[in-house]
Amino acid sequence: MAAPSAIDETLLRALEAVVGARGIVSGHARLSTYAADGLPLFSQAPDLVVLPRDTDETARVMALLHTAGVPIAARGSGTGLTGGATPAAGGVVVSTARMRSILELAPADRRARVQAGVVNADLTTAAAAHGLFYAPDPSSQQACTIGGNVANNSGGPHCFRHGNTTRHLLGVVVVLADGEVLDLVRDSNDPVGLDLVGNFCGSEGTFGIVTEVVVKLVPVPERVETLLALFTDLDAACGAVSDLIAQRLEPSAIEVLDRLTIEAVEASVYAAGYPVDAGAVVLCDVEGTDEEVEAIATDLVRIAERNGAFEVRRAADAAERKRLWAGRKGAFGAMGRVAPDLYVADAVVPRTKLRELVRLATEICRELDLKLANVFHAGDGNLHPNISYDRRDPDEVRRVLLAGTRILEACVAAGGSITGEHGVGLEKRDHMCALFGEDDLDAMRDVRRAWDPSGRLNPDKLLPIRRCSEIHADAVTTERVVPSA
Amino acid sequence: MSGHPNHTAADAPRTGGSTRGFDLASLVEYTKTLECIHCGLCLTSCPTYQLTGVESSSPRGRIHLMRSVAEGDLEPDAEYADEMDFCLLCRHCETACPAGVEFGALMEHARSGLTEQMPRPPLARALRWIGFRFVLPRRRVLDLAGAALRAVQITGVERIGRWLLARAGSVVPTSPRVPKGRARRRLEPSTPADGAARGAVDVLEGCVMPVLFGRVNRATGRSLAGLGYESRPLAGVTCCGSLHAHNGDLDGARTLARRMLAAARATERDGSDPLPLVVNSAGCSAHLKELHHLFDPDDPDRAAAEELAARVYDFTEFAAPRLRRRPPERSIEGAWKGPFAYDDPCHLCHAQQIRTPPRDVLAALPGLELVPLENSEGCCGSAGIYSVLRPADSAAVLEPKLDALERSGARTLVTANPGCHLQWQAGIERRGLDVRVVHVAELVARAYDGRTTE
Ligand SMILES: Cc1cc2nc3c(=O)[nH]c(=O)nc-3n(C[C@H](O)[C@H](O)[C@H](O)COP(=O)(O)OP(=O)(O)OC[C@H]3O[C@@H](n4cnc5c(N)ncnc54)[C@H](O)[C@@H]3O)c2cc1C
Ligand code: SF4
Ligand code: SF4
Repeated sequence: MAAPSAIDETLLRALEAVVGARGIVSGHARLSTYAADGLPLFSQAPDLVVLPRDTDETARVMALLHTAGVPIAARGSGTGLTGGATPAAGGVVVSTARMRSILELAPADRRARVQAGVVNADLTTAAAAHGLFYAPDPSSQQACTIGGNVANNSGGPHCFRHGNTTRHLLGVVVVLADGEVLDLVRDSNDPVGLDLVGNFCGSEGTFGIVTEVVVKLVPVPERVETLLALFTDLDAACGAVSDLIAQRLEPSAIEVLDRLTIEAVEASVYAAGYPVDAGAVVLCDVEGTDEEVEAIATDLVRIAERNGAFEVRRAADAAERKRLWAGRKGAFGAMGRVAPDLYVADAVVPRTKLRELVRLATEICRELDLKLANVFHAGDGNLHPNISYDRRDPDEVRRVLLAGTRILEACVAAGGSITGEHGVGLEKRDHMCALFGEDDLDAMRDVRRAWDPSGRLNPDKLLPIRRCSEIHADAVTTERVVPSA
Repeated sequence: MSGHPNHTAADAPRTGGSTRGFDLASLVEYTKTLECIHCGLCLTSCPTYQLTGVESSSPRGRIHLMRSVAEGDLEPDAEYADEMDFCLLCRHCETACPAGVEFGALMEHARSGLTEQMPRPPLARALRWIGFRFVLPRRRVLDLAGAALRAVQITGVERIGRWLLARAGSVVPTSPRVPKGRARRRLEPSTPADGAARGAVDVLEGCVMPVLFGRVNRATGRSLAGLGYESRPLAGVTCCGSLHAHNGDLDGARTLARRMLAAARATERDGSDPLPLVVNSAGCSAHLKELHHLFDPDDPDRAAAEELAARVYDFTEFAAPRLRRRPPERSIEGAWKGPFAYDDPCHLCHAQQIRTPPRDVLAALPGLELVPLENSEGCCGSAGIYSVLRPADSAAVLEPKLDALERSGARTLVTANPGCHLQWQAGIERRGLDVRVVHVAELVARAYDGRTTE
């Protein structure tokens, strides 16, 4: 439901004067490619896309758009999985895709200052030359931007040990809705006064546009080993993970892949030698000094075996490790072989309950006649039930969304949460009511208004736009597919 | 060839029309678009996305456009056509895509659909017809064109023309330097093996190769001789049709493919196994391995094409294992300055997954020091005739690669594809770098017989 377009020739020319002709995307066909992020269920083309090159240009663009009063959706690479970068209210997409400079790499200080559009993997590649890396490693790291990571407080396999994006932020430079530039780069780890950077992280483009980010870099560990434990079924693999956690074992990553996922990966360009005869595998990285690695690895093998692993393999060398991880990271995409679309649910459960909730998700999908694959950050209790579907089939879409809702509700009932790392976006906006009361939500709305009094930044997202009582009253139907503005 | 300004008639926007009246199936291979789940993992692999940061110039964006056209949501208008033309068909996105989207096939189909249903302006059409249907398939015409271009180049007429066009504000592609007549001579009907023969192979002489890179063809023969193989140029074919397939002329490509199959059949001697067909241009070896895509499942030529594919070897792929059995002994030092860097041609690494063999070949050559080249799998911007159709974009794609070349410290850049060869030469010349470009086969030949390329 696009707002009546407030973009006239004069505004267009003013914007073009700031960002140059190549910084403007208009035209029906080109704009249509900005209608969705990694979740094409939600789709709304913007009226215009602007691609500023730095903070200053962003500020001038935002000031112009403020005067025009149009809604704005920030966009990095559009790999988000909750419709966060979809301009649900129409208006303008401000893309950081031309802000790709690593502004400063300070190995001695173990920090880097980057533009928001720098791709996650590019930062790690640049840091590697100095024996450092950027720890948050979303499976989409070859494409997603640091700005998008900040907005969603993204995680990744190795965040089990290292923590999500927020743990690695030293500061951000933000442009507010009216074009004001806020420099929130701090010199110490312990900010004086309110932690505005922490507050900003995870705001999903509703507070402002991040233009620059200062992050911590972590030394590459002395030694890393990758272990792969094979199980006959998913249930046993989940049990093993719960046991690992209960025994306080500290690998740096604990991931689970089930059979359908393995088959898809092995059929793709990311084939890594995952055994197609296993019902599920647990993939772990262990890092540290030689002794630490050996000690953890030995315990890991023991625990895996007592939980029914029929084999535990160790990657022979760095090349095999790299392949196994590339396979894991290509897993969502590889599911494209199963059906035209993939719905990646993202929920968190207490890690003692992995087994029962994975069982439940399987049950829900069986009941609704949906094809489910599982690949998830098991160590964090972060489930990703992946449901294959075809968006051209309205009934299947309805069942997918219903399954998503039921799985989330079950996770919340078990003491978990509705998102582990993908954010709320459009998709889970109404599910916020399952987790928060109206008072909590009102408090969040107040915070949001303090950052963006105009309410033009990513409107319709993150916080429910209706009262929870109304939402609860609605049965879950396909109506949720099209966000109500 | 010289003097097409950036926006020539050849890539002028085509006139649009309503979705009604278009044959959607021939515009887009719809089922292949459905493989894409919109994950975006391909974005950063794409040279045109790197250049612009614009989603519609990314693989995901282009697939979205194709799907929208097929579903009737979008008219195949000038914007659509421009995004299809902007693509370099480098297929880097295929290497990145976990869902296995066959982007190369999708794009060839989309371009062909556009050619048929949204005719370009008459001048562009005429130029394309002359190039694809008249010049490329005919050895004589190619030879004449080569001679004519050389005449224009040595008399200075070309420089004047380029200067005039540049003054008129056009971006002018550099025309490839045509060597003198002796260097354009054709291969002998047979080049014998050196020493004890291990076997015989057919080689593809190619269309522009003899005109511009006769020396590479001869080096290929000399390398094969060193490896112990007699080589014979495949008679009766000129162009394999890869340029046609990439540029929206699938019909033309099909005609040439049938000619290729007939020529291949003619070499089959009763009873004996067909000989390997060694190809020294990555774009052509890739195309010949996928020739069957051009034919319907019930077309008898489809099976023939599959058989031919099994015979085709890229030069590097053929040489790598055999070099180990007969290691060359002469140092290549002195002929080219080290260190060397290898740049992966897209149609070797992305289209054929050939990455290790060229490096194995280089490692087997005495006196060759190889240094790594960042982003060696990134497209150089040559992309067949792209550098002629869109010279400004083509040069812009090369820029970061030239930076990487400078950082590598290499003095000789090794490639395995004529298009890349020309593109690098032009870029290096523009920047005034002291780096030479060489085809792998030239190095191998030298390591065997000690002669410098001529
Ligand atoms: C295959 C695949 C695997 C994934 N794996 C993981 C994973 O392991 N862990 C994980 O956490 N996520 C994962 N994701 C989700 C996604 O990649 C992350 O959320 C990522 O951080 C999004 O980055 P982006 O640059 O693509 O942002 P976009 O999708 O463009 O935007 C995401 C959100 O951030 C906002 N935004 C973007 N840039 C800015 C900015 N500069 N300022 C303010 N707001 C901004 C947008 O408005 C939107 O709300 C995966 C996605 C895919 C497709
Ligand atoms: S073929 Fe190359 S230029 Fe074309 S979309 Fe794929 S990566 Fe981009
Ligand atoms: S990587 Fe493949 S599936 Fe993902 S968006 Fe690109 S083409 Fe589509």
